[in-house]
Amino acid sequence: MTVQFKPAETFRDTFTYKKSPEDLLRFPFPFPEDSYMYSVNIEPHVRGGPTAAFQAQFDVDEHYIAECKERARVLAEDPKRCQVLPHMLTAEWDSLEMIMENLAADYPEHFTLSKDGDAWTWVNRPLGIQQSFIFGKAETLPCGPFEYITRQAQGDFTLQDQREDNLFVDGGMVTTQADWSLEFDIGMSFQEWHGPVPLAHEKGVFDRALKYLLRLQYGQPVRRLNWTMTVNPRLDTSPENYPVWGPDKASVTPENVAEKVHLRVELQTLYRLPRSNAILFGIRCYLTSVADIAKVPKWRRRLHRVLRDLHPDIATYKGIPRYQQMVVDYLAPLDDGSATSPGIAPDIEKIEA
Amino acid sequence: MSDQGIKSRPTYAPLAPDPSGRHHLLVVEAAEVPAEALAEGISPSAFEVWTVARRSAVPSVPAMEEAPGSVATFRSVTHLFSALEERLARETMGLRLYAAGAEPFLWDVWGRAQKAGLSRQETAFAEAGPKARRVYCVHCRTMSEGITTSIFTCPGCGASLFVRDHFSRRLAAFMAVQVDAEVPGEVPDAEELYA
Repeated sequence: MTVQFKPAETFRDTFTYKKSPEDLLRFPFPFPEDSYMYSVNIEPHVRGGPTAAFQAQFDVDEHYIAECKERARVLAEDPKRCQVLPHMLTAEWDSLEMIMENLAADYPEHFTLSKDGDAWTWVNRPLGIQQSFIFGKAETLPCGPFEYITRQAQGDFTLQDQREDNLFVDGGMVTTQADWSLEFDIGMSFQEWHGPVPLAHEKGVFDRALKYLLRLQYGQPVRRLNWTMTVNPRLDTSPENYPVWGPDKASVTPENVAEKVHLRVELQTLYRLPRSNAILFGIRCYLTSVADIAKVPKWRRRLHRVLRDLHPDIATYKGIPRYQQMVVDYLAPLDDGSATSPGIAPDIEKIEA
Repeated sequence: MSDQGIKSRPTYAPLAPDPSGRHHLLVVEAAEVPAEALAEGISPSAFEVWTVARRSAVPSVPAMEEAPGSVATFRSVTHLFSALEERLARETMGLRLYAAGAEPFLWDVWGRAQKAGLSRQETAFAEAGPKARRVYCVHCRTMSEGITTSIFTCPGCGASLFVRDHFSRRLAAFMAVQVDAEVPGEVPDAEELYA
């Protein structure tokens, strides 16, 4: 079925973002079991998986046009949300090629890439773009190659340079982030960038993840899911704008909790880039309200159990203690206590009306 | 409270010349090399030393040639940095750059070293002097110097800011975020932590 884009939906102020029943069932629900702790939950990023969000390399869903418009708006307000250090230009072109080729392969009805040597033409039908350019010549594009292509993709992206047996976040397009600042973090090593995350350092999670990623091979991308919660379907929960969105957290009541509080999932993907040997890191954000989660029996049971038993340090880091109990109280009567199947699949074909 | 468990915060160790280096330049934020900045048994004469007098009547010194064991004195930190930028631009492989001083000074040195193409392995830093912090307001990007408390008022945007232990070597600063963003006015008492 062809996806129906919803170009007018908003992720701030009026918050008209909504999920269709089909879109809800393709949500990459982040909990494969009834409890949660940090782990190196990395697996090959191959097409196909427990929900439709895993069918493409760079997932395009019904929110594509609206998310690209929101990104353009954030960049107009704060151009420093996209920055790439000068030594990463080859990685910029690698990224452009990686994203264009995969979008064109996965969605031929929406995207076409044609090449005549270095003379490329890119067609993006949903956004009404046709662009001819010379691959490798930045002056033939309206902006830098990394910014150009990531303006046309959902989710944030960062570029990791590999040197000194470490990864450095030396570039990024960061407009839909869960409270981290590219302007502050750019140039940091892997451990520094993850510095604020509790518990995981002590468990050796970052050392193991870094070792694994240093050996990441071209053509064998990997993925993991991460999660947090956000009040209102707001994509830009940046630290820069925290004084603007922070008060939302105090607006949750037992009456509005199901509509206001959203499970925010990041489908994180990592690609070795061919010429630069850098890593392209995709951080694709999906938002689903607790009310929508509650429409899927397995997911509502599991979310209830995970939040009820969550380690308090993790709850604090994710910024949810202010309303965590209200979500648990809302879900508790909807959890009949029955067993849940392993994995994240919704186990239903249709959302009951 | 004073250890927020954040791992981006740098750690420091007393300095000793790196045996794989060809020449060793030590820049110091003070008039003398602080004793605690050097590893046991290491004398300042193991380095070419640059110091800061914080006085104007200091004769100019030649500083563009490598001079092992010598001491050059500059009038101010800014004066030293001006010479350091020129010197690093003229340097070749094998230089090791060391710095001793307060944390903002160390990472200001690092910024200049990185611009000149030095890697982290070619530099070493020892913290000496006051522990006051340089702090970056993530909301309005104002830098504040000499912050000694857990919470302070941003001179740029007026927010009550909490100083996190999250440190950017590029900005040579800690991050601060508004402490009462969720419920304006809910500001805890500031604690004196970084004197």
